[in-house]
Amino acid sequence: MRALVAAAIGLAAALAIVLTVSAIGGPEGSTSPKPLLTTVPNAPGAVPPGK
Amino acid sequence: MRRKASLILLALAVFFAALSPLLRWYAFPRLAKVPPSQYQETVLEAKNATLLDYKQFKSVTVPKVTIVQTLKGNVEESRKIEKTAGKDVVVWDSLTYVLDDKGQFVSKNPERYIFDAHSQAPVHATGEMVDGDPVKRDGIEFKWPFLTEKRDYEYFDAQSRTSAPIHYKGTVAFHGLKVYYFEQTIPWTRVPFPKAMPLGVTPEVAKQTGLTRWYSTKRMFWVDPVTGGPVNGEEIHQEELRNATALFGQDKITAFSGHVKMREDYVDHTVALIKKNRTLILLLTSYLPWGFLGLGTALLALSLWLEARSRRPGTPAPTTRTEPEPVSA
Repeated sequence: MRALVAAAIGLAAALAIVLTVSAIGGPEGSTSPKPLLTTVPNAPGAVPPGK
Repeated sequence: MRRKASLILLALAVFFAALSPLLRWYAFPRLAKVPPSQYQETVLEAKNATLLDYKQFKSVTVPKVTIVQTLKGNVEESRKIEKTAGKDVVVWDSLTYVLDDKGQFVSKNPERYIFDAHSQAPVHATGEMVDGDPVKRDGIEFKWPFLTEKRDYEYFDAQSRTSAPIHYKGTVAFHGLKVYYFEQTIPWTRVPFPKAMPLGVTPEVAKQTGLTRWYSTKRMFWVDPVTGGPVNGEEIHQEELRNATALFGQDKITAFSGHVKMREDYVDHTVALIKKNRTLILLLTSYLPWGFLGLGTALLALSLWLEARSRRPGTPAPTTRTEPEPVSA
């Protein structure tokens, strides 16, 4: 009986963690201030914000 | 004491063993998604390309044509569409901007691509467009789904505004990654004129002269199967203006012809980005599930071993000393 209770506690903890993390999800962020480019950048990521 | 320890170990064993499938089949499909705020630029080049010179009214060979492609996630629009779509949506505003060897404008193609953040399947909503024309994509564009399969996919062709199969052609090594190679050939197809052309030529002016625009391409992608992100892209792209006798003195004239390849520094940058992202995906699909399963099994074995030891007959059981009672006759 005590073994069953221990297993149930383990299972409940796993479910709780996975459900919580999945519900929270990742950060959305915001739209980048960088423009859609009409010039050739010199290097990857070299475009300054709002150029 | 040993029985208590074995019970704690059993609880931990079940915890980790349960986490393994839950992470892979519950958490991963919900957590793995394209972020709505992504910004990415790519530079492609076509060396010794043929280009139509609108001043000279003839095709000329130029040392280089550069294509700058920017993808920008529009977070506000994705939030709006998510409300009605009822799922995580990504809105990519993209611009493909073509410049000649002198940095002069050749053409541009703005697009809005709306898709499911998890499956990358197209989502249809107001604003979905190519060069200002409303479209309804049936296939993927720019990116393959996570855990890409060895099969053909429907891929959207922005010039013809239609989707056609892009064929899986094999697995190859590319910059230390095992990637899937895909190929799509679009046969000669009549396509609309871009809204913006050099020297202020408009589609209306081009149509008045009776010109028609035709295009053919062989599109190649090397795709990381874990993230679904292309690490390299090439295109053998040809464009012709037909029915051109009145303007150009011949029926067909090449508007563009070239082998377009990603600039080497962008290949390196993309490979580095993909390698970083694939580690995150592999954590959820492989490293953590298998690690937790192994840990759970080990803890269960340890728990059973402790339990067995506590029940061994040779082990003195904890007893309480009782004084013998006095015997009375």
